[in-house]
Amino acid sequence: MTTEGLAAPAAIVRSRPAWLDTLLGQALALVASLGIAVLAGAVLIVAYGESPVEVYSSILEQSVGSVDGIGYVLAIATPLIFSALAVAVPFKAGLFNIGVEGQYIVAMVVAAWAEVELGFLPGPFLIIAALLAAMLGGMAWAAVPGVLKVTTGAHEVVTTIMMNGIAVSLVGWALNFPLHFDDAPEGAFVDLRTNNFPEQGLVGDLGRMFGITQGAHLSWLLLLAIAASFVVWFLFRRTRLGYEARAVGASPGSARAGGASIGAVQLKVFLISGALAGLVGMQQILADRGHLPQNYIVALGFTGIAVAFLGQNHPIGIVFAAILWGVLSRGEVALQIGSDVPREFVIILQGILILSVVITYQIARRRLSARQLQREGTVGELADAAAPSDRERAREGEDRESGAFAPADDRER
Amino acid sequence: MPFTDIAVALQISFTYFTVIYLTGLGGLFSERSGIVNIGLEGLMIVGTVSGAWGARYFTDTLDLGQPWGPILGLVAGAAFGAAFAGVHAVATITFRVDHIVSGVVLNLVAVGLARFLSQAFFGQSTQSDPGGPHLTPLAIPGLSSLPGGLDRAFENLSPVVIIAALMVFPVWYALNRLRWGLRLRACGENPEAARSLGVNVSTYRYQGVLLSGAFAGMSGGYLAADVIGNWREGQTLGLGFIALAALILSNWNPVRLLFFAWLFGFAVAIPLRQGLTDFWLIRDVPEQFIRMIPYIVTIVAIAGFVGRVRPPAAAGRAYEGAGGT
Repeated sequence: MTTEGLAAPAAIVRSRPAWLDTLLGQALALVASLGIAVLAGAVLIVAYGESPVEVYSSILEQSVGSVDGIGYVLAIATPLIFSALAVAVPFKAGLFNIGVEGQYIVAMVVAAWAEVELGFLPGPFLIIAALLAAMLGGMAWAAVPGVLKVTTGAHEVVTTIMMNGIAVSLVGWALNFPLHFDDAPEGAFVDLRTNNFPEQGLVGDLGRMFGITQGAHLSWLLLLAIAASFVVWFLFRRTRLGYEARAVGASPGSARAGGASIGAVQLKVFLISGALAGLVGMQQILADRGHLPQNYIVALGFTGIAVAFLGQNHPIGIVFAAILWGVLSRGEVALQIGSDVPREFVIILQGILILSVVITYQIARRRLSARQLQREGTVGELADAAAPSDRERAREGEDRESGAFAPADDRER
Repeated sequence: MPFTDIAVALQISFTYFTVIYLTGLGGLFSERSGIVNIGLEGLMIVGTVSGAWGARYFTDTLDLGQPWGPILGLVAGAAFGAAFAGVHAVATITFRVDHIVSGVVLNLVAVGLARFLSQAFFGQSTQSDPGGPHLTPLAIPGLSSLPGGLDRAFENLSPVVIIAALMVFPVWYALNRLRWGLRLRACGENPEAARSLGVNVSTYRYQGVLLSGAFAGMSGGYLAADVIGNWREGQTLGLGFIALAALILSNWNPVRLLFFAWLFGFAVAIPLRQGLTDFWLIRDVPEQFIRMIPYIVTIVAIAGFVGRVRPPAAAGRAYEGAGGT
C-alpha cells in the first residue's frame, strides 16, 4: 500500500520518449510473438512433411486471396470484435470479465425471445428491439457479478465462471420449454432450437454490395462492431468515466484519493461490458442462422479474451486482432482441401500465437517499467527507497495485495 | 420408495465425485502453492483424449491386458495433463503472466489441442471408437449385497472411485505433515517468508502446477476411458469448473473437498436418473435448474452470504524472486 504514493511522481515525469518507448515496445512484442507463432507453426508443418511456405500461402489465399474469402474473414471477426471489446472495457478498470461467454449465451436467448414474441413489429424496429434485448440480457447477466463485486467483494473471476455454467443450463431450459421449436411440420424430425425468426427481423446482408457471396453471411453487424470499437475508444479517451476507469485500473488507492467512487466505476464498466457481450451472438442468430440452435457456436467469449490480448486491449487494435484471428480461422478450409496437415493445425497455431502474445507482452511490460525506473532514478532518491519489485508491481496495477480469489475484506472496495 | 432410483443416482454420483475430486485435488495443489489455476477444464480435456488413447494403446496395441493397460491409460492422461500444465507453469511462474489470463488460454487452447491429438491418435478429430478398454469393476463384499435395491449404488464400482476417495489420506498427510507440503503451502501463503527460510518458491510452485495437471489429466482419462469408454469432444461438460467451485467451497481443504465433490457429483447425477426426476420435489423442477445448483451455491458462498471463503493468501500473485528482475 505504501508503494502507491510512489507511483504518482512517475506520471508527472512521463514524457513523450516514454510514450514512444511504450509504442515501440508493444509493436516489437507483437512482431516477436507473431514471429514465434509462425516459426513454431512452420516446425509443425515440416513435421507433417509439407512446405511451410505453401501451407501459409494457401491459408492466406483462402482467407484474403479473394473477395469472398475476405467476406468470410470479416463475418468471423464480427462477433469477436464485440467479445474482445467486452473483455477490454473492464480490463482497463482492472477487472476481468471472463463471463462474456455466459453473457452472450443469455443475450442470444433474450434476443431470440424478442424475435419470436415481437414478430409483428416492422423490420428495423424488430431488429432494434432484438439488439436492445440482447444488450439488456447481457447487462443483466453481467450485473450479478458486478453488483456482488461492489457490495460483497466477491471476486469477479469466480462469479463470472459460475454465471457461465448457469447460462449453459439456462439456454438448455429455454430451448426445451419457453422457446421450444413448435412450427415444425407434423412428424418431421425436430431439432432442439427456437422457431425461425421473422424474415424482417434478420440483419441485412452487407457483402452483396461488394460482390461477396451471401454464403459468407457478412452483415451490417460488422459496421456496428467497428462503431462500437470507436465508441469504446471515445469512452476511454474522452469521457470522465473512461478516465476514472483507467485510474481505478492503474491504482485503486490513487483513484480513490482522486475522488473516484471505485464501486460505481466498477459496476458501470461491468454493465457496459455486459451490453457489448450481448451483441456477440447476434451475428450468429440474426445473420447466420435465423434461429437459435442448440448447437450454437460456443467459446466466442473465451476467444474474445484471446483477441483482446492480441489487440493489446486497445479498441482499434482489437478490430485488427479480430480480423487476424478470422484470417487464421478461415485458413482452416485451405488445409482441409489440399494438405496433409490436419485442419486443427490452425487452432494450434492460434494457441501458440496467443501464448506467445501473453508472454512477450509481459516481458515487454517488465522491460518498459524497468526502463522507466531507470529514468526515474535520476529524478528522485525516493525511487531507491523501496525494493524494485514492489515498485514495479505497484506501477503495473498489479498491487492486488491479496490473490485473485481474495475474500471480501481483503479487497479494494 | 424408489430405493433403486436413489441407489442408481448414488452410483452415478460416485462417478462424478471421482472426476470432480481428482480435478479438485489438482487445483488444490496448484492454488495452495500460490498459482491460481482456472485451466482445470482444459487440463481435463487433454486428459480425456490422451487417457482414452492410452487405455487403448497399452491394452490392445501393446497387449498388456488387464489391469495394466487401463492403469497406464490413466497414467497417460496424467502425463499429458502435467505436460500441458507445464505451459501454465512456465507462463505464470517463469514469465509471471497473470494467472487468470494463462488459465483462460489453457482452456481455450485445450479444445484445439484435443482435436489435434485426437487426429494424431485416432485419425478423427472429435471422437474415438466406443467401447475402449477400462478397469474391471470391483465387487466389495457386503456393499454389493445390500438389500432393497441399494446394492445398485455399488454396482460396477470402478477401482478408481475407491482410489480417489482414499487419496484424501496421502494428500492430507502430505500437506499437513510432510516438509514438502508445509513448504508448498508456505509458498502459497507468503512466498517472501518462504524464500527467506531458504525455500525455492519457483520449484515448489512448478511442482504444484504440474501436480494439478497430473490430477486433472488423470481425472479426464478416467472420465473418457473408464466412465464413457471413448473420447468425445465436449465430454467434460464443464466439470473442471464444477471442480473449481467445489475447491473454493471447501476452502482449499482436501477433507472438505471430499464432501463438496460428492455433493456436486450428486447434483450432476440427479438429472441423469430418470426415475429420480419423477420423485418428490424434483419432479417439478426442470433438470436444467438442478444442473445450476453447484454454480449458484458457489456464488452464494463466494459472496460471503454463507460461511467464509479464504483462499491461500498469495494465490494469484506473481512472486518476483530473490532480487527481482
